[in-house]
Amino acid sequence: MLSLTQVQKRFGAVEVIRGVDLSIASGEFVVFVGPSGCGKSTLLRMIAGLEPISGGELSIGGIRMNETAASQRGIAMVFQSYALYPHMSVYKNMSFGLETARMRKAEIDRRVRKAADILQITPLLERKPRQLSGGQRQRVAIGRAIVRDPKIFLFDEPLSNLDAELRVQTRVEIAKLHADIGATMIYVTHDQVEAMTLADRIVVLRAGIVEQQGTPLDIYNKPANRFVAGFIGSPKMNFLDVSAAAGGGDAATIGLGASRFSMSIRRGFDASEPLTLGIRPEHVVTGGTAEIDLGTLAIVHVEQLGGQTIAYGRLADGQALNVVLEGQRRISAGDSLPVGAMAGGCHLFGSDGLRLNS
Amino acid sequence: MPNAAAASARAVQGDDLAGYGFLLPWLLGFLLLTLGPVAASFYLSLTDYSGLSAPNWVGIENYTRIATDDPRFITAMTVTFTFVLLSVPLKLIFALGVAVALNKGLTGLSFFRAVFYLPSLIGGSVAIAVLWRQVFAGDGLLNQALHTLFGYEGPSWIANPSTSLYTLVLLAVWQFGSSMIIFLAGLRQIPQDIYEAASIDGAQPVRQFFKITLPLLTPVIFFNAVIQTIDAFKAFTSAFVISDGTGGPIDSTLFYTLYLYQEAFTNFRFGYASALAWILVLIIAAFTALSFLSARYWVHYDD
Amino acid sequence: MTEVVRAPAIAFPAAPSRADIGSPWRRAFAYALLLAVTFVLLYPLLWMVASSLRPDSEIFHSTSLIPQAPTFDAYSRGWNGLSVGFSQLFLNSLLISVLVVIGNVMSCAMAAYAFTRLRFRGRGFWFAMMLGTLMLPQHAVLIPQYIMFLKLGWVNTILPLTIPKFLAVDAFFVFLMVQFFRGIPRELDEAAVMDGCGPLRIFLKVILPLSTPVLATAAVFSFIWTWDDFFAPLIYLNDIEKYTAQLGLRTFVDSAGQSDWGALFAMSTLTVLPIFILFLMFQRLLIEGIATTGMKR
Repeated sequence: MLSLTQVQKRFGAVEVIRGVDLSIASGEFVVFVGPSGCGKSTLLRMIAGLEPISGGELSIGGIRMNETAASQRGIAMVFQSYALYPHMSVYKNMSFGLETARMRKAEIDRRVRKAADILQITPLLERKPRQLSGGQRQRVAIGRAIVRDPKIFLFDEPLSNLDAELRVQTRVEIAKLHADIGATMIYVTHDQVEAMTLADRIVVLRAGIVEQQGTPLDIYNKPANRFVAGFIGSPKMNFLDVSAAAGGGDAATIGLGASRFSMSIRRGFDASEPLTLGIRPEHVVTGGTAEIDLGTLAIVHVEQLGGQTIAYGRLADGQALNVVLEGQRRISAGDSLPVGAMAGGCHLFGSDGLRLNS
Repeated sequence: MPNAAAASARAVQGDDLAGYGFLLPWLLGFLLLTLGPVAASFYLSLTDYSGLSAPNWVGIENYTRIATDDPRFITAMTVTFTFVLLSVPLKLIFALGVAVALNKGLTGLSFFRAVFYLPSLIGGSVAIAVLWRQVFAGDGLLNQALHTLFGYEGPSWIANPSTSLYTLVLLAVWQFGSSMIIFLAGLRQIPQDIYEAASIDGAQPVRQFFKITLPLLTPVIFFNAVIQTIDAFKAFTSAFVISDGTGGPIDSTLFYTLYLYQEAFTNFRFGYASALAWILVLIIAAFTALSFLSARYWVHYDD
Repeated sequence: MTEVVRAPAIAFPAAPSRADIGSPWRRAFAYALLLAVTFVLLYPLLWMVASSLRPDSEIFHSTSLIPQAPTFDAYSRGWNGLSVGFSQLFLNSLLISVLVVIGNVMSCAMAAYAFTRLRFRGRGFWFAMMLGTLMLPQHAVLIPQYIMFLKLGWVNTILPLTIPKFLAVDAFFVFLMVQFFRGIPRELDEAAVMDGCGPLRIFLKVILPLSTPVLATAAVFSFIWTWDDFFAPLIYLNDIEKYTAQLGLRTFVDSAGQSDWGALFAMSTLTVLPIFILFLMFQRLLIEGIATTGMKR
């Protein structure tokens, strides 16, 4: 449906997008996620036709689109600020693009009313954007995209201007819209919760490079490298410096403080190579059932969230480790807690940051 | 590859054609009505052009004559500098005083602001110059008022060379409104909590004015001073109308621009007048440059 | 990262919330002072209007602002006091001013749009040139312009007064509009691009409709400055039937001035009247324009 082949973007000497390959299937919901400055918005704007492509090829439906005008690409875009025309009514905002394309009046009217119906904004059609709430503006922005009947919807951080409650509500509605219309959607966000909840496939970007792509659970369960591991998941994954007591074959013996345990690995490594062990706070085990013993955690600070308890502490060798415990636990700073982990909840990264365990 | 990229940049992003299409009127104006004339006027200032015969190259003769052998030039400079150095500070002090008074949270602010602004909107018109001519005439309004109030028989302020220029200074000060509005906007930018902090520190209103208001307002004062100075150098209409275009009596209101006008358009000494024009431009440029140089010593910027 | 759409508007800062004049006495004193200033400022103007309604015999003997037996005699004497009726001169002024307004608004908006929204080679260079002309006094170009218009046969027509304005020679207005256009979110342009608009359609359908405050400011100031202008008509217009109202008034000073002050004041009042009306209608716009851009008048 849509494919990017070695797509590049340069601003002068600065390379912002460095050879992205990506192919998106029809009807797929793809989320670009990454820290600010990673190039995710630029990539989206290149697909939209708002930013010229410096190198590589963009094709939609098998046709090269690099030089095609934005309005001819069969796409629609919802902007971060909504970019509603302040001087036009809601109706006019939605019909403007169709009028520019010289569509018949009756057809325009039919489309606008249908979109308004889907989004439940029919009573607002004669209003101006400034008379609308944030959530209503958001709907109009989506409506303006729907009337174009595009093959691909592009969303550029569309929820970042909404308050927390509305953000959750609109997130659900966008997911529902995708289910209803079945169009391809590409969605940019820096919010990993949005990424996890909306995406069929997440594309994690950093510094203009695709770090990993896959289903949300793939990425959560098997982050390809230390960056993805740290970026996806909240609270952030714990990273512990470990030594490789012995390596070779497809298993390695890992040493952390006094404890030793074995992990299956994909490649061999030097005994001198510094390794990192990643464990998500929610995967730290506190009972005696752990497969891997991490020793005793000296608790420094505790946060009670009601449904969860978060403990911040240090291991015997001084490394920081955070733990998320279900429910309300009676622990406080100064306590110590025996901690461990299951082998399946551990991630091993080599000195190059790449995932080592399988 | 770079060429292909540039081509696609143009395809997607608006292009040279649209850019120059929209810029065309300005570009024509700039080339034909600004850049060309600037160059031509510099060339003319080095000739004896009079409009009748082709210009003859005379080198810097016009400039040397202006500097060494033109008493009216000296007069025009004296008159203009007197006018600038008197009218600009007076106008600014008055504008600042009224702005500070208006900023005290009085009701009716918008009324006073509008009324005080009116004179600067219409002050440059011929009608006001006509009015001024009458007000300061021998049998004019001022002398009638002086007669009624004090029994004093005043002279004709306009016809007297020792007072005529001051009537024009007064006319300039009368138009303090636009400076006042800019001061008022500047005063509004000073956060109230600074004053509240100063009050807690025990600073009295007068001290607050000199230690807080004035320093924080220096950027606005600087801006007003530069704009008003440039404008004062260019003053023309009032002097022309009040003196019947002569700059009289006995050249006491011979503004530089008036002298320039006479040389160019009554004597048709285009070459000489061009030299005069360039000297005016240089004076204004020098004044502006000096202001900016001095600014670092007295203008307070946040950053 | 998050940028909220702001309606581009010229903001006038809100009044300080607390009234910081302490005692009622000081408050009364401040009011008295302001009223005194108001009186001194407006007295000559009001007296001019009053005098235009008086018989001539009374003008030089009355400092009061209320004419005893108001009469419009002076107006009819003045209106036909020149060899050409003032109606002709007012029409001339109106024509020139309206043409200048149209020319300024159109050409300056186009230039400002190119400078702020279009990417073309040389844009930075031309923009720097435009800023350079902001400070350039007219005297630097005056004489060659005059000679050029003379050679074109345009002297003694309204062309030298109007055609340059269609070429955006008032860099100040270009600058004013550049500042305003920069406040219009770029995402609106991009939304329009997605909606299939080219540069011209974005200009006409998005930028201009959103810029009415700055266009109106430029239009009103253009009109007032042109209406008031004396120097350019003085140089370029020779025949009395082509004069503007300002030129006519100044000619009237010579012909009738010393003898018929009443008629002179009547015509003075009339030439100021259009500006006064615009002032009443667009007072807020004018004052905000001054406050935010620091125009000199």
